[in-house]
Amino acid sequence: MDIKELFAKQEEMKRKNLNAKNEKESEITKVLTFFIGDQVYGIEIPCVIEIIGVPHITVVPGIPYYIKGIINVRSKVVPVIDMRSRFGKEEKEYNERTNTIIIEESGVTVGVIVDEVIGVLPVYQKNIANSPDRIGVNDNKFIKYLLEMQDGIKLVLDVAKLIYDGDMYLGDE
Amino acid sequence: MAKVEPGMEAMVDVYIFETTALLEQLDEILLRTEKANEFTEEDINEIFRIMHTVKGSSAMMGFENLQMLAHKGEDMFFIIREAPEKMTDVGFVYDLVFQMSDLFKAEIDMIQNDDDYTATDFSEMIGKLEKGAKMLKGELDSAEAAEAAGAADAGAAPAVPADVAPDCTTVRVFFEDGCKMENIRAFMLINNVKETVDDVEIVKYVPEDIESNQDSANVIIDNGFLLSFRAPDVKAVLSAIEGSLNVQSYEVIDNTTAPAEEKAPEPAPAAAPQPAPAPAAAAQAAPAAAAAQAAPKPAEKPKAPAAEQKAPTASSGGGKQSLISVNLQKLDQLHDIVGEIITTESMVISNPELEGLRLESFTKSARELRKLTDELQDTVMSIRMVPLTGPFQKMNRIVRDMKVKLNKDVELVIEGDTTEVDKSIVDNLNDPLMHLVRNAVDHGIENTTEERVARGKPAKGTVKLSAMSSSGEVVITISDDGQGIDTEKVISKAERNGLLTKPISEYTEREIQNMILLPGFSTNDVVTEYSGRGVGMDVVKSNLSKMGGSLTVESKKGEGTSFIIKIPLTLAIVDGMEIMVGDAEFTVPISVIKESFIVKHEQILNDTRRGEMIMIRGVCYPMLRLNEKFGLPSDVNDIEDGIVLLIESENRGICLFADKLIGEQQVVVKPFPKYLSQYDIKGQGLSGCTIMGDGSISLIIDVNTLIGSR
Repeated sequence: MDIKELFAKQEEMKRKNLNAKNEKESEITKVLTFFIGDQVYGIEIPCVIEIIGVPHITVVPGIPYYIKGIINVRSKVVPVIDMRSRFGKEEKEYNERTNTIIIEESGVTVGVIVDEVIGVLPVYQKNIANSPDRIGVNDNKFIKYLLEMQDGIKLVLDVAKLIYDGDMYLGDE
Repeated sequence: MAKVEPGMEAMVDVYIFETTALLEQLDEILLRTEKANEFTEEDINEIFRIMHTVKGSSAMMGFENLQMLAHKGEDMFFIIREAPEKMTDVGFVYDLVFQMSDLFKAEIDMIQNDDDYTATDFSEMIGKLEKGAKMLKGELDSAEAAEAAGAADAGAAPAVPADVAPDCTTVRVFFEDGCKMENIRAFMLINNVKETVDDVEIVKYVPEDIESNQDSANVIIDNGFLLSFRAPDVKAVLSAIEGSLNVQSYEVIDNTTAPAEEKAPEPAPAAAPQPAPAPAAAAQAAPAAAAAQAAPKPAEKPKAPAAEQKAPTASSGGGKQSLISVNLQKLDQLHDIVGEIITTESMVISNPELEGLRLESFTKSARELRKLTDELQDTVMSIRMVPLTGPFQKMNRIVRDMKVKLNKDVELVIEGDTTEVDKSIVDNLNDPLMHLVRNAVDHGIENTTEERVARGKPAKGTVKLSAMSSSGEVVITISDDGQGIDTEKVISKAERNGLLTKPISEYTEREIQNMILLPGFSTNDVVTEYSGRGVGMDVVKSNLSKMGGSLTVESKKGEGTSFIIKIPLTLAIVDGMEIMVGDAEFTVPISVIKESFIVKHEQILNDTRRGEMIMIRGVCYPMLRLNEKFGLPSDVNDIEDGIVLLIESENRGICLFADKLIGEQQVVVKPFPKYLSQYDIKGQGLSGCTIMGDGSISLIIDVNTLIGSR
């Protein structure tokens, strides 16, 4: 599933079409949205390599509890993070809806396990909510920005922080 | 391939391949820096290293003329490296180095293609390089140096070549105004003449370096292109010149043999073709021509002029090396694809839908397929893996030569050269090994046997080169039983060179010893052919760090020095025993497994802290249950149901308890993903992982850490 290339093309087409419209109307990027619990999160499409189910996970000792182990993605060994436990939520059994999103940021590839992938959403400047003081710190440090859509607020994750930030503030821990 | 010592023939291919690659690299740097019009420190170092390596390998192959040539080139860049600020007028340096590079290529071409190769005398070029070096030192003025650069800058003296035999005809050719790339046109002209006229012999042409030097275009614009030839039918040649592309006019200069009527075959402006354009105009045309030539085909290699003159047909013909260079990425890709094929294959063959069916011919074909894919996998794996024998054996030659030249009695002992490592590692090992072995012989071993005997050592010095793979690393040791590192000398030298960062008294012995690995450091007071410039360690370090390896020194004064190279096994193959613990599969390197057996309850001893031990043939070994160690839930908890492996490493032993054995398998070690490197997985006793034939991942057990943890 080479989403990246496809979307890059689409995006370019759209950008050409939208050039005339004003800045608030023009599409900035696209996000892949998914559920973790009841909340909808998003990851910007350029980071996404592919979406797979949950393959057999090989457990590796000596790593944090939220990294479930390593998987084989086309002969590449990739670590997988369970987003539920990463965000301090109760873990649940993986089912047929559970997806692994393989993301890449500056040469590091990881898989994130999410409850369910929803789809792809275009992002316009007007959708991005202004709440700078609450975003990117403490509990919300993995959040890049909020998207206010008609069907609710979506939290777009900062992939770089997700990958590089070793520890997360977990409130009661 | 004559003229190479018996036993070295096999190396010629490698030598040609390596040297050609280095020369190409050199040209690339020169072209790039010439365009940017400045040498960075890095460029100078890189050129220096190339020269150094070419020198070394030429010496090894016994091509003394090439060795000498590279030595002089190295000398010149040594001066530049020491005092880069003196490099104000770099033009002649380029000329010299390009000339040298061309000579090298021509010579190598001859080595490759000529059956009766004889060494060319490079004394003329060596003289030029020496002059250039002196000039850089400031001993000569630039005028003389320009002269040293010689024919390359023929612009100053476009006279008829003096050494042309009297029966030659010399023609001065001018090309059309603004036709660009005059040097290439001239080259084409020569080819045209050669093709159209039989029996023509091109004796000489000026400028000589039309193929490699873009500046020669300017010379041609200013002074015309001088071509001397010898032919029975001069007229035919002249008409061929006339008929060549872009030729504006030509004149036959001097010559006693050419018939008078041929002197002016064309009434055209032979006399005043091009003196008009002022130097400024010429200068303007120059960058344009140069750019036009350089831009479209930067990768175009100037062919060796010698080969060109010899036989145009031979240049593409036989004598090619049997080695090809393949991008490692492609190999990785191939390896991955093969892995996927094998996974897919087992998915097809053991497809649940086939269960219970009697498929005789299918089973037969499937077996055939499995056999082939196994073979394919083995081949792909073996492509990347090469034993260290090649680079190790090369050292024999180096030691032998140095022994003779330095008059030292030294013996090289090689151990573990069958250790297989990844191709990329072997490639990068050549230079470091060469430098370290040279250092050991030159610096390490005492200068006289008397010194050695006086210290109570055998008269014959020993340099030992050994390799082994140990827990995810290849360890290569180069040790000598020589004089060891003189720490006092090292620290005083470091002080003089301004390399100290804290007071002398605060340095530990180890720190001082490791100072010799700093760039530009050498305790040898005299620069010899082999070492003393401090470049060796520099090369060693940079090459090793490319592979993520490390270099340490261990030395005892008077007893000897060891250089220890450690390189992580990023892609080494391990013979492994696959074991199951709970759901997880682990690989234990077979080399450490002493035996595997089933134990009875009676054999288990419990120590005071609930630890289990087992007595085997009078030796007591601690027992480690892998499921407990790695926190894996397992159904097998009774010691009699599972299997026990006795493993031993570095004289310590331990028993591992696993659920069951699966079997023996060769596996490719992969490092853990980068993301996990922030956690201490190695400390848990795992050195890496591997992807099995069925696509599952097996973790490789690091025995040394496991033993240490218990």
